[in-house]
Amino acid sequence: MKRKRLAAYIRTRLADTWKVFVLEIRRVLRDSGVFLIFFVAGLGYPILYNLIYLNNTIKEVPVAVVDMSCSSESREFIYRWDASQEVEVRYSCTSMEEAEQLLKKQLIHGILYIPSDYAAILNTGLETAHLSLYCDMSSFLYMKNVYMSANMVMLDKMNNIQVDRYEKMNVNHEMSWALVQSVPYEAVALYNPTGGYGTFLIPGILMLILHQTLFLGIAMLCGTAREENKEIFILPGRRRRYSIFRLLIGRALAYFTFYFAIAAFDLILIPRLFDLPHVGRNVDILVFVVPFLLSTIFFSLLCGSFQKERETGMVTGLFSSLIFMFISGLSWPRENMSFIWQILGDLLPSTWGIHGYIHINTMGATLLTTIKEYNMLWLLTGFYFVLCVIVYTIRARKYDTEVQEQDARLIAYFLSKRDHLRQISHELIEKEKQRIRNYREKHRVLHP
Amino acid sequence: MRVARYELNRAITRPVYIFSTIVVMLFSCIFFLTLFKTGAPEKMPIAIVDLDQSSISRRVAHELNATQSVTITNVYSSYQEARIAMQQGKIYAFLLIPSHFYSDLAAFKRPTLTFYVNNAYTVGASTSYKQLLMVMNLASGAFQREVLRKKGLPEHLLMKRIQPVAIDAHLIGNPMSNYSVYLLGVILPGMLGVIVLMITIYSIGGELKWKTSHEWLKQAEGNYVVAMIGKMLPHTALYCMMGITVNIIMFRILEFPVNGSFLYLNLGLITYIFAIQSIAVTFIGLVPVLRDALSIGALYGMLSFSLSGFTFPYMGMLTWMKPLCYLFPLRHYYLIYVNEALLGGPIIQSAPFVGMLLSFCVLQFLVGHRLHNALIYQNYPRD
Repeated sequence: MKRKRLAAYIRTRLADTWKVFVLEIRRVLRDSGVFLIFFVAGLGYPILYNLIYLNNTIKEVPVAVVDMSCSSESREFIYRWDASQEVEVRYSCTSMEEAEQLLKKQLIHGILYIPSDYAAILNTGLETAHLSLYCDMSSFLYMKNVYMSANMVMLDKMNNIQVDRYEKMNVNHEMSWALVQSVPYEAVALYNPTGGYGTFLIPGILMLILHQTLFLGIAMLCGTAREENKEIFILPGRRRRYSIFRLLIGRALAYFTFYFAIAAFDLILIPRLFDLPHVGRNVDILVFVVPFLLSTIFFSLLCGSFQKERETGMVTGLFSSLIFMFISGLSWPRENMSFIWQILGDLLPSTWGIHGYIHINTMGATLLTTIKEYNMLWLLTGFYFVLCVIVYTIRARKYDTEVQEQDARLIAYFLSKRDHLRQISHELIEKEKQRIRNYREKHRVLHP
Repeated sequence: MRVARYELNRAITRPVYIFSTIVVMLFSCIFFLTLFKTGAPEKMPIAIVDLDQSSISRRVAHELNATQSVTITNVYSSYQEARIAMQQGKIYAFLLIPSHFYSDLAAFKRPTLTFYVNNAYTVGASTSYKQLLMVMNLASGAFQREVLRKKGLPEHLLMKRIQPVAIDAHLIGNPMSNYSVYLLGVILPGMLGVIVLMITIYSIGGELKWKTSHEWLKQAEGNYVVAMIGKMLPHTALYCMMGITVNIIMFRILEFPVNGSFLYLNLGLITYIFAIQSIAVTFIGLVPVLRDALSIGALYGMLSFSLSGFTFPYMGMLTWMKPLCYLFPLRHYYLIYVNEALLGGPIIQSAPFVGMLLSFCVLQFLVGHRLHNALIYQNYPRD
């Protein structure tokens, strides 16, 4: 007997959840705005961003040199610098003013000034020859290219000069190098060997796109439901009794179904299509994305429950993309953020999602190595689920009392007007009777 | 004037307006201005893999810890451990000291040090890379100095001997290579731009959605131009005020460098706001459905950050994508900013960009008729 009741209990719960699930899926597909955000933006943005950053690095940044030395040494330096792939010496100016004009016209992004005594100092070997480098700071990448390439040429040149000098002092070649560069080094740039900007940014952007499209789409759905007075806090087809768990789980599953497919496309197919690093295991990525999507869904359901209009989420929520991007620590390292921003970042699914995905996809970590991010996402899922339950329960209660009050008001209204109503209905009936009587009489007259 | 009052009334009664202009902008300002608190990344966690187990690793660690930009958080005894730590995002780089390093060094055998940097996070990686490079060169120099000193070379000649060439770098407009100067001068106006775009679309589209446009037009006695100006005026004033306040905070209070004219920069900002408002009107005019216009606005607004070219430069983009960049007012504002704040070029350099921004303002007249009709007949779907 007891078991039977339990089975029935479970069956109704499952049936309700299923009902909510189907209803939500239908709502997503029917709502053109949400469809646009979920499918067009969710699938199109990754492609668009990849196209923007397709070149990945910048090469041959135009620069100018002001060679006052006009010596073979200075010319050699310029040749070497020009030969590096980072910069291209496009102009050779005779004065600093001329070069500055070019810089101000934004035709070049760096100037190298070689003073007139450059060769003389090098040849006497008693002093340090100074070169002046002017970098355009309008973009980090210009500055990096100009600065790094000039320094590399300089270091190389410096070592060669020193070795030459030692050899002139009758130190053998091996020994000279041992003196000049006692500790040779090798730098290995892991996971992004060319230092590409897209390779660095896009994996994070992919996760952020999933996060933000879900966020804005769910906000829009919540707003629409509120606007159309279809209450989102009760089960469909029921007037009062609420059942928050079935509702939340059913809806979350509906979004999850769509997004699992979208995530698979964005996170697994896109890196392959655009030759981004993809050294992680696909299974790991798919398993990792489960708590990411769930925590994002509950986070969005929570935020969405506060808005009353369909469009407000779009207007107020759009700016969050940039904030979420920076707070995740993808560009500016989290170690250097103040405590408050670190905490706030910890509370966002996007932070953990971005890092976890980069670790697995770009850096080839296994799920076991990213266990911290993975667990944090489950924790956030639980956290936002509980908050959702609380907020939705409060809302549903409020709605419930509202409905009760409404009903009571309606009943009271009818009761108070009972006599009046009776009278009206009586009058109406009498009128109708009279009409029928008249009609009959008329007909009797016409057709006796 | 009556229209302006009507619009103000609307704005005050709807919390969306206040929230998404003032609150959002304030929050963004506080967020971005406090996020990069140090200007340049500091104390990036890195590690050492010590296969030599000699005193040298302690000395290297000591040298590195003394620098501003990195800090050694761990010393591992195998490459594997360090690699896993890197995959977990705990360290941005590690230095591998090979076995027999110390004895090889003493025997002038030139043992190679290898450093691995995690380029999946470029800022952390390039900071640690630069620092490691510097320490390596200094280490070589120190070794050479020791040898030369023993050979009896006079002290004042040593340094010149060791460094025959040096480069003095002058970073124009941002001498300390401050990260917030890189970003904020453009990001905050960019944020403002997105807000202006969305709110302008919302305030006009809202009239269509809730069918209040007749009331609005009645305030202006049916004159479309007056209605438009009246509606925009309070918003424009607020945005300009916010934009200039942000600029004052950045360039006057926090003393970001301005090599050109601060006045022209602000004038550029005002034209930028006009341009964005005009684009917003154009969008809602082309698609007089609030929801769709907002979706287009959102797409356009988010792309403006990437396509304005202040992070990934214009010259690196695909050829067919380059013309697209000029469709975004933020790109023109960025170029004005570069000219006025960083390079300090003559005003004539900014003129073409201001001209482009002004030409955006013409756009709204092209859809004027269409939007006017939409306001009168309300003949578009509401949702």
